Amino acid sequence: MIKLAFYGKGGIGKSTLVSNLALLLAERGLRVVQIGCDPKADSTRFLREGKSLPTVMDKIRERVPFALSDVLIRGREGVLLAEAGGPLPGRGCAGRGIITALEKLEELGLYETCRPDVVLYDVLGDVVCGGFAMPMRSSYAERVYILTSGEAMSVYAAANIAMALKSFEGRGYADLGGFILNRRDVPREEERVRDLAADFGAEVTGALSRSPKYQEAEEAGLPLVLLAPESPEAGELSALADAILPPEERKG
Amino acid sequence: MRQAYIQTPCYTGDVSGACSALYELGGMTVMHDPSGCNSTYNTHDEIRWYDRESLIFLSGLTDLDVILGDDERLIGDVCRAAEALHPAFIALVNSPLPWLNGTDFDAVCRLIGERTSLPAFHVPTNGMHDYVRGAGLALETWARHFVKEPRAGREKGKIRANLMGLTPLDFALRDTVSSLRSLLSEAGFEPWSFWAMDDDPENLKRASEADVSLVVSAAGLRAARFLERTFGVPYLAAFPAMGIRDRVWSLLEETASSGKSRSLSHALDLGKEEEGALFLVGEPVTMGSLAAAVHARTGRPCRVLVPLEETETLLGPCFTRVSGEEEIRRALKGAGAVLADPMYRPLVPEGADLVPLPHLAYSGRIFLKEIPDLTAFVPEGL
Repeated sequence: MIKLAFYGKGGIGKSTLVSNLALLLAERGLRVVQIGCDPKADSTRFLREGKSLPTVMDKIRERVPFALSDVLIRGREGVLLAEAGGPLPGRGCAGRGIITALEKLEELGLYETCRPDVVLYDVLGDVVCGGFAMPMRSSYAERVYILTSGEAMSVYAAANIAMALKSFEGRGYADLGGFILNRRDVPREEERVRDLAADFGAEVTGALSRSPKYQEAEEAGLPLVLLAPESPEAGELSALADAILPPEERKG
Repeated sequence: MRQAYIQTPCYTGDVSGACSALYELGGMTVMHDPSGCNSTYNTHDEIRWYDRESLIFLSGLTDLDVILGDDERLIGDVCRAAEALHPAFIALVNSPLPWLNGTDFDAVCRLIGERTSLPAFHVPTNGMHDYVRGAGLALETWARHFVKEPRAGREKGKIRANLMGLTPLDFALRDTVSSLRSLLSEAGFEPWSFWAMDDDPENLKRASEADVSLVVSAAGLRAARFLERTFGVPYLAAFPAMGIRDRVWSLLEETASSGKSRSLSHALDLGKEEEGALFLVGEPVTMGSLAAAVHARTGRPCRVLVPLEETETLLGPCFTRVSGEEEIRRALKGAGAVLADPMYRPLVPEGADLVPLPHLAYSGRIFLKEIPDLTAFVPEGL
C-alpha cells in the first residue's frame, strides 16, 4: 500500500488533480482510496456519481456507532471515497477534526478491509496546525506532493508547506515527493517553481497546462480524464500519474 | 442525566491508572499536562510514595506550549531528566490538553528515543476514561516493548503462572499481593511474573515463558491478551477468593493445558432470584469471584454491577454493566444487601444493608486503613 498526500494553496486545484489521479490509477488496475481532508468535504464530488457521502465528522456528530460503509462509497472506476469533514463552520477545531476523522477511519478498519494499493489524501490548503499535518505523520502518507503555480502567493504557500515538512525531520514523517506545477501562465513560472524545488532539494514531478478544459469538465461534473481522455491535458495528467507512482511501486 | 454522578464520586482516571501500573517498572513516567493530573494522582491515587521511589513527573504544559505547538520544551526537559536519572525507559502519558491539541506522541517519543538512546513510548490515555483502561493500556504498551521471545530448552516442571492486573488501585493492601504469591505456590503453581507489583521487571520480560496468566483485575486484561496473541499464553480471569480457590486453581490448570482463555464469570451461576439478592458493585474480576464465594458459602443469590470500562468480555450472565448514578440506582432496586465501597451508600435502596469494601480507585485514601487482604476477605453478616 502506498499512501500519498497532496497539499497546496487553497484553490490551486488539488481536488481536481487528486480526483483525476485517482481515476487514472484505478484505470491502471489499482485499488484506490481517496480521502478528502478538508471541512468543506468537496474533494470527491466529481467521483461520486451523484451518490451522497456523509462525512466522518457528520457521523461522529450523530453520537451513535456507525460502520465503515456509512462513510465510504465506491465511486467512478471503483475508486473508494471518504470525506473527513469537520466541525460546524466557525466552531470547534477543524484540525482536530481531521485527526479524529482519520483515526476513526483507521479504527473502522479502512486499510484492512479495503486493502488499497494506493491511498490519496487531499489536504486543505496550508499546514496551519497539527491536525492538517496528520496526513504527513508516520503510518499515514509516505510522500507529500505540493501543488503550486508560479504566482507569488502560491509559491509562498508551497514553500511554507515544504518548510513544515522539513521541520518534522526526525519524526518519521512523510518525505517530500516533489512539486507539481499547475500553470497560471505567469512570467518565469517554470523557473520560479524549479527554483523552489531546488531550494528544498526536490524535483518538479510534473506540470499541468492552464486550459479551459478543466472548467468544461467542472461544468459537466466530470473529471477531465473522463470528459476528454484523448486530450493533451489528459496526457499530462497520465504522465503525472506515472511519475508519482512508477510501475515498480504499484505492486506494493 | 443518564451518566451524571451527583451524590457519588467517579473512579480514578486513566492517567493515574497508567502511572500506577508503571510505578514499579523502573522507568520514568511523564504526565504531559499542566498539573491537574499530577495532583490527582499524587494526592488521591498513589499510596506508595513513602515505601518506594519512582520517577513520576509532570511536564508542566503551559498555554503557550499548546498554542504554539512547542513540543521541544517537553522533549528537552525529558531528555535532561533522563540523562540525570538513568531510567530503564521513558513513558509519556497523554492527558486532555495534548490529546485535544493532537500532539503527535509517536513523533515526540521517536525524538526522545533517538536523543537518549532509551526505549521511549507513550500511553494513549486522554483523561476521559477510567483507570482500568489507563492501567490496561500502560501494561499492554510496556509488554509490547519489553516482553522477550521465550527461551528454548525448558524442562518440564510446575505450571508457570503470570499474575496480571496488580496495582494498588485494586489491591491497596500490599499483603494481598504476597498472599497471592503464597497461595499460587501452595496450590502447586510456579508464580512467574507479577504485573506490576512486587516483582523484578526482568521477570515480567520473561512472561512469554509462562504456561498461563491469571488475570486478577480488569486492568490486566489487555496485557494478558497481548501475551496470548503474541506468545500463545492463555489466560483465566478470576480472583482466588476464599471459598472458591480450588475451583480457580482447577480452572487455571485446565486453561494452561487446553490453551483456551476463559473468564470465571461466564461459568458462574449466582442464583435465580434477583429480589433480595446481594449486589456487588465494582471491579468485575474481584467482585465476581467474591460473589461466587458468597453464593457458594451461603446459597444467597448474587448479582454483580460493573461501572468500569473495557470490562464487557468479563461479564457473565449474572453481571450487568452500569454507567451513571441513575442506572446504578435502578439496578440496585430490590437488592437485599449491597457489597460495595462505602461511598456508594447514597445509592443503596432503603431497607438494604451496605456491606463496606473500600476500593482505593473509588474512595481514594478515605478508608485506606479498612481495605482488607482480598484473598482472606469474608464479608460479615451475610
